[in-house]
Amino acid sequence: MGRLLLVEDDDETAEEVVGDLRRRGYEVERAATGPDGRAAAFAGGWNVIILDRLLPGCDGLSVLQDLRKAGDRTPALLLSALSDVDERIRGLRAGGDDYLTKPFALGELAARIEALLRRPVGAKEALLRLGTLELDLVSGRGRRGRRELDLLPRELKLLDYLMRRPGQVVTRAMLFEEVWNYRFVPKSNLIDVHIGRLRRKLEAAGEPPLIHSVRGLGFALMPDD
Amino acid sequence: MTRFPSTTAFRWSFAIALWTATASLILFAFIFWQTTSLERRENDETIERQLAYIAADPTEIVPRIQDWLGGGIHADRFAGYFAPDGRHLAGNITAIPSGLKRNGQVRDSTGPVSVSHSEPRDDLLCAALQRADGHVVVVALSDDDIERAKDAMIRTLGLALIPMILLSVIGGIVLSSRARRKLVATEGAVAAVMRGDLGQRLPAGAGRDEFDRLTANVNTMLDRIEILVDEVRSVGDAIAHDLRTPLTRLRARLERSRDEATSVEELRQAIDRGLEWLDQCLGLITAILRIGEIEHGRRRAGFRDVSLADCLTEAAEVYDPLAEAKRIRIDRAIDEGLPPIWGDRELLFEALANLIDNAVKFTPVGGRIHLSLRRYGDELEIGIDDNGAGIPLAERSHVFQRFYRAEPERHSRGNGLGLSLVAAVVALHDFTITLEDAVPTGCRFRIVCPLDGATGTARPRAGEPALVSAGVADQAEAPGS
Repeated sequence: MGRLLLVEDDDETAEEVVGDLRRRGYEVERAATGPDGRAAAFAGGWNVIILDRLLPGCDGLSVLQDLRKAGDRTPALLLSALSDVDERIRGLRAGGDDYLTKPFALGELAARIEALLRRPVGAKEALLRLGTLELDLVSGRGRRGRRELDLLPRELKLLDYLMRRPGQVVTRAMLFEEVWNYRFVPKSNLIDVHIGRLRRKLEAAGEPPLIHSVRGLGFALMPDD
Repeated sequence: MTRFPSTTAFRWSFAIALWTATASLILFAFIFWQTTSLERRENDETIERQLAYIAADPTEIVPRIQDWLGGGIHADRFAGYFAPDGRHLAGNITAIPSGLKRNGQVRDSTGPVSVSHSEPRDDLLCAALQRADGHVVVVALSDDDIERAKDAMIRTLGLALIPMILLSVIGGIVLSSRARRKLVATEGAVAAVMRGDLGQRLPAGAGRDEFDRLTANVNTMLDRIEILVDEVRSVGDAIAHDLRTPLTRLRARLERSRDEATSVEELRQAIDRGLEWLDQCLGLITAILRIGEIEHGRRRAGFRDVSLADCLTEAAEVYDPLAEAKRIRIDRAIDEGLPPIWGDRELLFEALANLIDNAVKFTPVGGRIHLSLRRYGDELEIGIDDNGAGIPLAERSHVFQRFYRAEPERHSRGNGLGLSLVAAVVALHDFTITLEDAVPTGCRFRIVCPLDGATGTARPRAGEPALVSAGVADQAEAPGS
């Protein structure tokens, strides 16, 4: 799986997060202060670093900035209690790869770590294949087996995103950020409605399901063979 | 509170009285000096003319002296005629005054002048002229007139000065105590406000002077503060209420599940339900924090050129499937080639999404939502019309307030913060939003976005904190469009 470093000062939060991530099969170490976190981060050997924004002793951002200056490109996910969205922009500019505002669901954190650990499939390819599913990004056409799929532009984007992350849980927030490119939590079950529409197109009567719902969290596209 | 005599107003009135008296004194002195010197000049001229006249003809000297002396009423005229050896020939001056130049020019007598029937006088204005034959004529005039005038003036001044000072002191006291009365009333009201009684107002004067204007301004300010404090108070109450409801449910559910759940699956269900309620609470708190953040204008870092047309199209597209499920059609009438505006793309999207969400919620099944984006001169206008039931006039001004939910909606989902967020975003961008009747039914939200003429973008001013109601106008009349 992967080795994760969690730099988090709050013991209770750290305990929950570490426990949850270990159950999911990760090897997790925790540093409780800025200096400890800095030392651990610079020691290297991590697959993902989870960094609290506000730490005793120093700012999580400065740790990240120093790490990036030293040429370390280990994916980093910033956690913050600061709801100010400018804070997120600052975090990403400092070299963060993702930013999660407290409070967050443990599943959301796990899904985002997973996304950071796995490189999207076929990052540069214009023709994606997953089981019987085929998506040609140049012509904008999709097929399942022999059946031609009639996809709207946004559905195309959605399917593109999902096909590059096969078997991986993507949360509603992640979809909205990545597919719609907006960062906000829609009030209604908007994403579900879009997924539902895509699902109806992908899964004609009798065909095995491709998009699976992950309870309370999001969706995952599973190959059908 | 300061004692009366030491108040600024009293000190000022006293200073003004003093100043008035001083100025009057200077004025009097000037008039006095001018008057006496004029009189003195007239006397000098009289003497010199008379002397020249008397001395002009040697045969007429004595009769003319008699005439001169006879003309005076107050025995203030004097004259003397002297032989070359100084012998007294005629007139009531018995000796040539010593030290007097005999050139016909007036001089103050340099010493006592001997006159008949009297002590030597030293208060005379004299002039002497020595004729070619050696005879000397002296003419003199008492300066009693001038002295009397001087006395009279000084008396008048003295008499006038006392009442004048009195008057200015009284005037000062009256004025300052009037100001003082106003000030005491104002101080009382301010003290009440400081104690926390925000309903208190300063006593309004009828006048239009600076003090009354200041009072009126302070009262307006207090009105505003009272509204804001009430708003904060009711928002606080609403937050507490909205948090308490799901938390109460959560508590009851947890308690019941602990006692009654018989299987792990049942417990899990209870916990899932609990998590949902907790998320509702957290969502509420996050929304409040976000609105606060937007209202305080701290979100300008994300400002750049934004295409409103793209924002509106994307927001509509996001809601299309949801609307379709309700058989609602979302029409778009978006002009092409519109200039970008200066703003935060994500916030604008969120605001538009909220309005569309709202419209979808309130449009009946099979209804229609109409979105428009047009340019009118230097403004872009976004219109979001639905053909739902509309919002009664009386409720329109409230819809942008935090936690306001129209009564039928009170029990529906949502935290009543959606439109507050819209209002905050609109205010952050210096746009305005109005709520109107749509034609033929339903309601219409209209957002007006000013363009900056030169660059085609509206660059908001920095500074003033945006209030919930800022930029929100209540439109009573149906739109003309």
